[in-house]
Amino acid sequence: MSSCSCGHEHDQAINPLIPTRAKVIKIVEETPDVKTFFISTLDDKKPFDPNPGQLGMLSLPDIGEAMFSVTDKGENHIEMAIKAIGKLTYTLHEIEVGQEVGIRGPYGNGFPLDYFKGKDILFIGGGIGLAPVRSLIMHCLRNREDYGKLTVVYGARSKADLCFKDDLFNNWPKVPNMEVFITIDKEEEGWDGHVGFVPAYVEELAPKPQATVLCGPPIMIKFTLPILQKMGFADKDIITTLEMRMKCGIGKCGRCNIGSKYVCLDGPVFSMEELKDLPPEY
Amino acid sequence: MATMEQLTLQLRETAREILESKKAAAVIGWEKGTFWYTTTPVVLTKPEDTERLVWNEYCLNNLAKYLLDFQHSNEKVAIFARGCDSRGINRLIQDKQIDRDKVLIIGLACPGMKDDKKARELGQNADIPLAKKCQECAYPDALVYDLWIGEPKEVAKPVPEAKVFPEVEAIEQMTPDDKYASFAANYEKCLRCYACRNVCPACNCKECIFGNSSKEWSAKANNLSENMFFALTRALHVAGRCIQCGECERICPVNIPIMLLNKKIIQDIDRLFGPYEAGLDPEDKMPLGSFEFTDPEEFM
Amino acid sequence: MFTFQESEIKNLLNALAKEYKVFVPAKVGDESKFVPYDDNVELYWDRNVLLSVKDKFFPHTEPMYKFKTKRKTVEIEPLASKDEPVLLFGVRSCDLQALNCLDQVFLTKGFVDEFYRTKRDQATIVALGCNEAEDTCFCTAMGVDPQKGNGADIQAYRTQGKFGMEALTEKGQKIIDILKSYLKEENLQVPETQGFQLQPDMDGVAEKLKGMFDAELWAEVAPTCLNCGACTYICPTCHCFDISQDVRGEEGFKYRCWDSCMFEEYTLMAGGHNPRPSKKERVRNRFMHKLCYFPERYNMLLCTGCGRCLNVCPVNLHITSIIGKVKEAN
Repeated sequence: MSSCSCGHEHDQAINPLIPTRAKVIKIVEETPDVKTFFISTLDDKKPFDPNPGQLGMLSLPDIGEAMFSVTDKGENHIEMAIKAIGKLTYTLHEIEVGQEVGIRGPYGNGFPLDYFKGKDILFIGGGIGLAPVRSLIMHCLRNREDYGKLTVVYGARSKADLCFKDDLFNNWPKVPNMEVFITIDKEEEGWDGHVGFVPAYVEELAPKPQATVLCGPPIMIKFTLPILQKMGFADKDIITTLEMRMKCGIGKCGRCNIGSKYVCLDGPVFSMEELKDLPPEY
Repeated sequence: MATMEQLTLQLRETAREILESKKAAAVIGWEKGTFWYTTTPVVLTKPEDTERLVWNEYCLNNLAKYLLDFQHSNEKVAIFARGCDSRGINRLIQDKQIDRDKVLIIGLACPGMKDDKKARELGQNADIPLAKKCQECAYPDALVYDLWIGEPKEVAKPVPEAKVFPEVEAIEQMTPDDKYASFAANYEKCLRCYACRNVCPACNCKECIFGNSSKEWSAKANNLSENMFFALTRALHVAGRCIQCGECERICPVNIPIMLLNKKIIQDIDRLFGPYEAGLDPEDKMPLGSFEFTDPEEFM
Repeated sequence: MFTFQESEIKNLLNALAKEYKVFVPAKVGDESKFVPYDDNVELYWDRNVLLSVKDKFFPHTEPMYKFKTKRKTVEIEPLASKDEPVLLFGVRSCDLQALNCLDQVFLTKGFVDEFYRTKRDQATIVALGCNEAEDTCFCTAMGVDPQKGNGADIQAYRTQGKFGMEALTEKGQKIIDILKSYLKEENLQVPETQGFQLQPDMDGVAEKLKGMFDAELWAEVAPTCLNCGACTYICPTCHCFDISQDVRGEEGFKYRCWDSCMFEEYTLMAGGHNPRPSKKERVRNRFMHKLCYFPERYNMLLCTGCGRCLNVCPVNLHITSIIGKVKEAN
């Protein structure tokens, strides 16, 4: 059920292209160019109930609309971590708490939760790539007994560029049977953690999970994949989540296709095995 | 005088020799199309493919635009050129979009191309008229070339003439309301497919303002206002650079008389800056790209 | 079959215009397209129209909702669709099949596009058979029957100075009932469509294309293409769209409009990455989409053989020649 500006409850999407009104209730500065926006409906409910890995279309109607991954949800809100990189996102970075926005969703297939059950999972993220993966990590933490050992290997350009610092340094290291490994690209004053690129760090750590979730800039994926394959992971056990230019979010406007699949509808989550069957156009 | 069939053989031989001896990495020409009244521009890289080249009365496409695809390549490219193609090539050289020494121009004398739309209508046995753009052509033969196909011709140095177009004058005589109505009637039909822009040798911006919707100079929405904005902007952007090849008007899917705007601007430039024809000589000074103390300065 | 004399057509259209907004194929200046019927319209039956009925269901520009943005508040007001029964009289089989393709896109796979659905539901379609193919027609090769539109409410024929009509659905029967007094029941011999010149062989093309992503074909063919949008906009099955906004001060409206996969910024991402950076990728994607990806997803070709792209492409780059090259390729 969602409420729209007419004040009545409707079944999800009278028209899937028309957003509902919502508001930003909290903004957290993750890095100099990434902020997490906490979004609720005007009557303080979740705009929709996403599964881990699903997406939502956020808009400032007079500026534009774009697709973002939902990084977590609460009882009455959803969270989206957004990097300032284009017109809409730069404007979003200037808004204040209380700003009303348009929101619609949930879109996308989300992570295959049943597939992950009972498994030791390795999460590999680079930069803002941790955002979609985080929704899955949070889900695992809330249902801790359903999942095995959780290992996070995450890197960013610098200490300032690490997203979700609170989780990385305070919350997650405290979780039983969970390990967090963080790296930054270059030496930096005040950082005595690991220095180096994520793919090399993964090789160094040589974890032995039963499933891997991988998300980051194309170059990180390009170098990490061969390492995972060298470590003996099967394509069906390497899961990634992709990004594309999106407009409709519902698999109709045509532009986010990889072969016959739409990233907004059949994705964004794909296993390496599925991707092998699709043209390498992403 | 050699027929076009005979010249076709010479064309193929020349192209083959160029590719075999690696004088150029590619040859741009025309090949047979699906129907008797069509040909397709083609970029050939293999010597054996040169058998596909044709030279007939339906080689309507202006080839100059394809040179832009070789802008960032280090290799030389050969291109067949009649008058209109050679003017297009001169324009690209003048705009510094391509270096003269990267292009191997194979000159042709053009008898005028036939109207493919009328050909389709009238059938193969009818007397097909020349294409409109060819009826108005002042320079059928290549104005610049490295090689020549057929009987070498003495091409006189072109002297630009001031132009007066009856169809433009007819509109100039209209009342403002009628002018607007005529303009609106034409551009209401526009699909904004940008075929005119993409076929035009004078349109060679790396990034077109109509191809960048995030900057919001123009909207993708199709309405009269946006369509007119596109038409006027493009006409003014190619002002002083239009070679009157007429391709824009020929290929418009909805038959908008695009050349009206271009001809009006050509007429105005002749009046303001003296007779000028774009693309006759890469060394000539462009009226809107150079300043003379005698230029009109009505606003000063 | 129910028939009437061709000379009577305006009387019947007038009768229908009392109950529906009637669209008919007409000559308008140099073009032909479907226009609202009135007595002055120059009806055009000889050939298929240049501008297909796509825009009656999927307009070139379609406002979706109004918005107001004042300081921190946002108001959104969906724009109601017009409640209007529409009759399209004289849609050819190729264009009707194109609507079937659009139905797959807009009505299936979990989300229903309300803008499209409303128009589709309100429309009654009278298909018109073709007695003669143009040189650019190849509908039969794409599985379309030129004398029998797939999904029509009425199938009409035009032969021997008469129009013949057969109701195929309840909506169609309603039309027959309205026109009862003008119609005569008789058998009318429907001619077989003559004159096909193009017969591309589609056998195995979709499967073969699946393995041809890296084929040399694309690098050979792409340079000719100008990457304009003429083929995509004139094509009755092409359906890509963009979403943008028209803002005036604190008010505006959001609309969707036609877009083309041929344009460079079609897949350009905010950070600058473009999965289809050059002509080659875009040309390949267009033909793969029509002949391989769409059939894989929806079990039908995204080309109905109407031949418009053959007419309209500035450089005569034809889907039929691509099909030929695909079949020839190793």
